[in-house]
Amino acid sequence: MSMHWYVARRVAWAVIATYLILSITFGLLAVAPGDGQTAFAFKAATQGGDVDEAQETFDEITGRDEPLLTRYKNYMVNMATLNWGWSFTRNQPVLDAIAQAYPYSLMYALPATLISIIAGYAIGLYSATHQYTLTDYFGTFTAFFGISIPNFWFGIMLILVFAVDLGWLPSYYQTGRGVWTVANAKQLILPIIVLSTGAIAGNMRYSRAEALEYVHADFVKTARAKGADDWRVLVRHIFRPALVPLMTILVADILGLLFAGAYITEVVFQIPGLGLLSYKAIIQQDTALVMATTLIPVFIAIIGNLVQDIAYTVLDPRISYGDR
Amino acid sequence: MAADTRSETAATERFEDVDWNDVGGLGFTRRTLALGVSSLAYAVAVLYDVFLTEDALISGTNWLFLLTLLAGVFFVAWPLADNRRLTAYYWRRFKKNRAAVISAIYLLVVFVLGTFGPMLIAKPELNVLAAYQPPVFLSVDSSVPTSCVGQAAEGLCHGTWKYPLGTTSDGKGIARLVVFGMRVSMQVGLITMLIVISIGTVVGTSAAYFSGLVDELLMRYVDIQQTFPTFFLFLIVTYLFKPSLFLLITIFGFLGWGGIARLVRSEALQRREESYIQAAENAGASDGWIIRRHLMPNVSNTVITAATLLIPSFILFEATFAFLGLTDPSTPSWGQVISSGRGDLDSAWWIATIPGVFLFFTVLAFNFVGDALRDALDPRSEGDA
Repeated sequence: MSMHWYVARRVAWAVIATYLILSITFGLLAVAPGDGQTAFAFKAATQGGDVDEAQETFDEITGRDEPLLTRYKNYMVNMATLNWGWSFTRNQPVLDAIAQAYPYSLMYALPATLISIIAGYAIGLYSATHQYTLTDYFGTFTAFFGISIPNFWFGIMLILVFAVDLGWLPSYYQTGRGVWTVANAKQLILPIIVLSTGAIAGNMRYSRAEALEYVHADFVKTARAKGADDWRVLVRHIFRPALVPLMTILVADILGLLFAGAYITEVVFQIPGLGLLSYKAIIQQDTALVMATTLIPVFIAIIGNLVQDIAYTVLDPRISYGDR
Repeated sequence: MAADTRSETAATERFEDVDWNDVGGLGFTRRTLALGVSSLAYAVAVLYDVFLTEDALISGTNWLFLLTLLAGVFFVAWPLADNRRLTAYYWRRFKKNRAAVISAIYLLVVFVLGTFGPMLIAKPELNVLAAYQPPVFLSVDSSVPTSCVGQAAEGLCHGTWKYPLGTTSDGKGIARLVVFGMRVSMQVGLITMLIVISIGTVVGTSAAYFSGLVDELLMRYVDIQQTFPTFFLFLIVTYLFKPSLFLLITIFGFLGWGGIARLVRSEALQRREESYIQAAENAGASDGWIIRRHLMPNVSNTVITAATLLIPSFILFEATFAFLGLTDPSTPSWGQVISSGRGDLDSAWWIATIPGVFLFFTVLAFNFVGDALRDALDPRSEGDA
């Protein structure tokens, strides 16, 4: 099978997966007992409106009075044309709300990703080349710590120590402090630590296991015999072959980890990013916003998987296209 | 003399003369018999609870937990007790890892306390007068609790043995909440694991054994299921339906087995080529028999290890959702207590801290045990040890 054919098939598969997921979501929405109608009517009532009228309006907006097939068609067309609905709690289109929120998510998620990659791979490679030393044990312990500690509790403990007891850092995020300011950097330190700890541990485990496969390989022994120093052996002979699987692991798994982790981090530190937006939408029963904010990570996961699979086959000639 | 006895035993052990009932027989072994009887009793009890009683005797989650315990007895404890030598061998390898042994003991304590504790102690109750009591041996400024249950001296309120780990903002004893939380965590971890490994093993071994179209269909389905992040799926579902522990367990159980299925398939593909499978096929064994008796036992070590490492992720998910307030509020879970202590960090730090310590150590212990099990059960890791 040629590579182009493989890539084409893989992309087609991603499209089918997206379609299936949208259909499942529609099915869930159709059978669910409560999808925000009550909350919408309640909001209307508190603003002095008529409850029955509000429920009718809601049915009209969401098209609940139409036959199922028409609704399905409308839903799919709306999804495809990025017409993702109106958030009634924020009185703005859902996509605008998301556009306002995501810079806040990026502000701490990007540094956290970079830190977790660099620190994770560095510790992992060091552990692999210095197996069974004290540093290796320390690294392994760190990895266990990182994967075991509950993100949200770690965040709360950091707030308790560094904000409440020591008073060095603010305990929650406040907007309006600029982007490139010291105050903003200070309030991002704890979220970045919380988010990167788990990811560092994950990266470390992968890179250690991956590098260990090459540490005792013949070509590494040859390089050593020919007098290559430790650094050269590490970078040129171990890191390079290990990089392919590591890069591909990174795309999908780290994305997933970051998204789920970001959700919690934002709730704990009150950062007004995508996670908190989604959380508030759930609490306030704002269906359109809930759907959009939960589907976006799902789509990103699909694209991440796609990129991972394609990158794998492009970068690693040993992989045959035949096996999926 | 010696020759005589030998010929004598040889004579009594002629194939035709063997009393098969003595050696376990063609009928059922004691384990199969006991398994049959108890699953029958279980099924009858569940049916009785579903159809004949007004209120459920015990909740759906508890029924599932009972099933998990039964499975644990018949498929883990009993075989281990039958094969003493193998058990001793695994134990020798397992106990090399000191941290894992301590973790296993800790988990055993949590398991026993969590399973039987909630039957013996009363559910923690709301008591505004006893709010914000500090843990025993510790003290807090008298202005924090509404009234001090223990000794109050020099403007400090001391903790009492009545509430060994202090109380929450609504006066619930944290020690009791922790015990109830143990049950929730154990239920989530163990039941979900049972569902995941049952489906994952059946799908994985079937895909590997039948290959061809069956393999293609099953694995394509796994592909779809794996692309959907369970965390966000559960968010959507919990938003649209009434959240409960039962829902969480079923969602994570029935949608989380993809990884295990893939792992089992790749392992079973190798086993499939081995001569004992061909021998069984030639002897006329049915597909189901080969899968049950030859494939499954030979992939079980991989499954057990992977399952142990999956448990902590389920426990963490449950705690996370409880923390977000997206589970049934009447289920006393660790995540929920941590969440309730968030607002009182500056005055009552123990509310959020103590349940988190238990959560952290439980997850850590499962990870340690899983790691040690991999070293102990997986013959491929022998070279390293």
